[in-house]
Amino acid sequence: MVVTLERDDVSELIRSEDMWEPIGPTPMPEIPDLRNWSMRLLKTYKPFYAPFCDLCCLCTYGKCDLTAGRKGACGIDIASQQARVVLIACCMGLSAHGAHARHLIDYLIEKLGEDYKIDLGMQVNVEAPIARTVMGLKPETLGDLRKVVEYVERGLIHLVSSTHTGQEGSDLDFEVKNLHAGMLDLLVMEAADIAQIVGFGYPTSIADTPLVDIGWGSIDRTKAMVLCIGHNAASANAVIDYLRANDLEDEVEVCGICCTAHDVTRYSDKAKVIGPLSRQLFFLRCGIADVIVTDEQCVLTNVPEEARKTGAALIAASDKICYGLEDATERETDEIVQEMVDDGKQFVIFDPEKAGEVAARVAIEIAPRRKKGFIDEAEAQELAKGCEKCKAYMCSQVCPNLLPIQQGMQQAAEGSFDRLRSLFDQCFTCGKCEQECPRHLPIAKIMQSVATKETFKLRSGRGPVHDVEIRKVGSPIVLGTIPGIIAFVGCSNYPDIEDVAEMAEEFAKRKYIVCLSGCAAMVAAMKKDEEGKTIYEKYPPDFDAGCILNVGSCVANSHIAGAAIKVANIFATLPGRANYEVIADYILNRVGACGVAWGAYSQKAATIGTGFNRWGVPVVLGPHSSKYRRLYLSRKEEDDWTVMDGRTGQLVDTQEPTPEHLAYVIESKERAMVTIPKLCMRRNDTPQGRQIKLSHYISLYKRYMGTLPDDLHHVVRSTRDIPLVYKKEVLPYLKEMGWKEKPALSLPTLIGTYPSKVRLEAVIH
Amino acid sequence: MAEVMKLPFWRVNVLTGLKGARVIEDPRECASLIRRAKRPLFVAGPRAIDHYFDNGKTSLEYVLEIARLVNMPTCATAHVKKRMLELGIKPDSVYDIIEIINHLKDPDWQGVRKEGNHDLIVFSGIRCELAELGLSTLKHFAPHLKTMALCRYSHPNADYAQPILSDEKWKGYFEELVTNLQQ
Repeated sequence: MVVTLERDDVSELIRSEDMWEPIGPTPMPEIPDLRNWSMRLLKTYKPFYAPFCDLCCLCTYGKCDLTAGRKGACGIDIASQQARVVLIACCMGLSAHGAHARHLIDYLIEKLGEDYKIDLGMQVNVEAPIARTVMGLKPETLGDLRKVVEYVERGLIHLVSSTHTGQEGSDLDFEVKNLHAGMLDLLVMEAADIAQIVGFGYPTSIADTPLVDIGWGSIDRTKAMVLCIGHNAASANAVIDYLRANDLEDEVEVCGICCTAHDVTRYSDKAKVIGPLSRQLFFLRCGIADVIVTDEQCVLTNVPEEARKTGAALIAASDKICYGLEDATERETDEIVQEMVDDGKQFVIFDPEKAGEVAARVAIEIAPRRKKGFIDEAEAQELAKGCEKCKAYMCSQVCPNLLPIQQGMQQAAEGSFDRLRSLFDQCFTCGKCEQECPRHLPIAKIMQSVATKETFKLRSGRGPVHDVEIRKVGSPIVLGTIPGIIAFVGCSNYPDIEDVAEMAEEFAKRKYIVCLSGCAAMVAAMKKDEEGKTIYEKYPPDFDAGCILNVGSCVANSHIAGAAIKVANIFATLPGRANYEVIADYILNRVGACGVAWGAYSQKAATIGTGFNRWGVPVVLGPHSSKYRRLYLSRKEEDDWTVMDGRTGQLVDTQEPTPEHLAYVIESKERAMVTIPKLCMRRNDTPQGRQIKLSHYISLYKRYMGTLPDDLHHVVRSTRDIPLVYKKEVLPYLKEMGWKEKPALSLPTLIGTYPSKVRLEAVIH
Repeated sequence: MAEVMKLPFWRVNVLTGLKGARVIEDPRECASLIRRAKRPLFVAGPRAIDHYFDNGKTSLEYVLEIARLVNMPTCATAHVKKRMLELGIKPDSVYDIIEIINHLKDPDWQGVRKEGNHDLIVFSGIRCELAELGLSTLKHFAPHLKTMALCRYSHPNADYAQPILSDEKWKGYFEELVTNLQQ
């Protein structure tokens, strides 16, 4: 039994009489509508499970041990249980973005009205490519964005329901639901970012957004400081509003950590970015913030305790995070300010404007009496002498990166800080080491001494990719002469914090289009060249070959998917409206895009990545992301790479594993550098395009692995694909491997290889 | 450093199921297990390149010596291949860690020498969190093979694991293992 919206309801919701494009086969799809597309993807890219836990402890039958082929009392096996846990994670991620969008849209509708027009400027006519393609809706007002959220909320209920005991029992069908959750996630993120762009007046239709300051050195410590942490900038922007209205902008520093930082700098280029999520605890411990304002997502759950330690004031501004604090939303502002200043009280304030005013006023009041500053190396050395060199090494045992913290402390105690400096670059600041230290050494505080106090430049988030940019790059992307779009996204639990900047620059030099978002965009700014420039100062900010652009916060990831959709819709003129399978199939076979979530930690990141996978975009994950416990992998030598040639209607065994995987974990940066260009190859690449892509693949492989790629014979289709510069080496290698020319196709597509309402003619453009 | 593996060295990913590694304290037993395998495979990861002992050798050099002594094929993951070539040794196969595990869990895979899937997989030098997850995959989905972790921090999801060892004792373990395999 499938309960769906009546066709009339769908028709009304998407205003089907408004014929801006013909309506495709799947308007506002529910789980069954795109099940076959997902199953087709999963046929090639099979789920790979790495159980993080052998048990299920979700109901009172258990705990049930699922090792060695055992099943739980409900009948579930280990594979399905892993897929189920991934679905729970994806629903968490989806609900976090969904609730974020819901709050922003309701808040902005209350301020501006539901008929407030969506206008993304002269350069963006296809304002919401995901909403158009998934739902068939062309959102025109904030009220239309609320429809998007309502559609997502409806889908979320069904998805969460499937995770209950005695529901879904197939790992593959759990994966279908994971992919559905991912699709809804990108959709609702798009709605959230469009809402905040139009509602708060963020930059749009310009690429050259301001370069803003990032880093601990950017803070003027002589001023009062409000630190905003999280992802929903409504309250952070309200702080700016209050300061502007009262001519106080030069008296108070407004800074952010994590995505709120991105969004507040889109609102005011005087705002500053402290850094990514992984610097949260370090910065809280230094006590430089006079007032901390928390909103939602990725905020430490013990901020009240940390604030008390340093004497910082705290306002929790979201219903998602209330910390057990008294609700002061309805109380008089003067009274709240007085209690925070005089008594150090912490409050939850749900009204962003009131939270903004209180934060600014309290910061101004308490800043003069607070002692703020980073500890220096002499103080750090004294503190480090407290390390008793115990034999338990608990500081390392509990460290997610197994860092040799004791060695760092011992060397610091002797006055040498180089080791500590390198540890700082690999540390996520989880704080577990301090907790386990028998002397409770203030390790995070000691590490402050080695944190760089430099100021770096980050380009503030630019929002959607422009239609005109797509018209320019669409052809070279699809032909392969722009070798790929590489998106560095997500959180900052990296093996090393400098990895992202290094990878982003390498691919920009090689004329890939490099997009960044979220914490990845921040850390990419935190590395300077010999001339003191960051990658944002060195490379143009356009969506074009050899450029580096920051789309914005987490929710702006949707614009990267949106750009891929626009290539199909604007460049190839495929109708996008409610036409998910056709557009995703186009992206999978033609748009050489690859996501890189090198430090992904959150459930949201799992959902975002899965959403990209359903659009046909592969995602590379860093080593810690193996803990997500599920990947989508092919086996290039054994698997069937047959697709349909859309023009001839013939099935063709391409013998070509492109893209090879959809979700893939990589152990080292060096290996990532060779895998990313490979995952940008597509079946549709012209010989010239494949030559360019192979040229980068071969040169990077030779640099990091020392030889020609071991799988070259799989990705060379004809001798015309071989880069001229490598021809002398490659031809003998291919001969040795017994390579033969692979069949050529004019229009590779999965449509026609699985049951679908979509007719083959629909892919011809 | 505690050297008896009651728990893995790292406390963040402790084993939660009922099937855990047998700790092989004695390198002679380890040598015997390797020698008894019909089609073993040594999978070497990037930490084997980075880890230097006080005698100037990397753990990769011990790995290669062990593989050579019993004619065990090698699989170089991540960027290990380049270092192996610099040492004058061509790896029998080059797969990333996830790829090789994905192959190994298929009982019908023909292995790196096309002689059938391997019956004992020896791992060394893989990042701990990734190795433990990969070993979990094989524990659950590859009942047709056994796994051994020659990692100083030990691995509960392997079938056989070294105890947690200090650097000095880890080197000693490798050397004794090599000596036993030479006999």
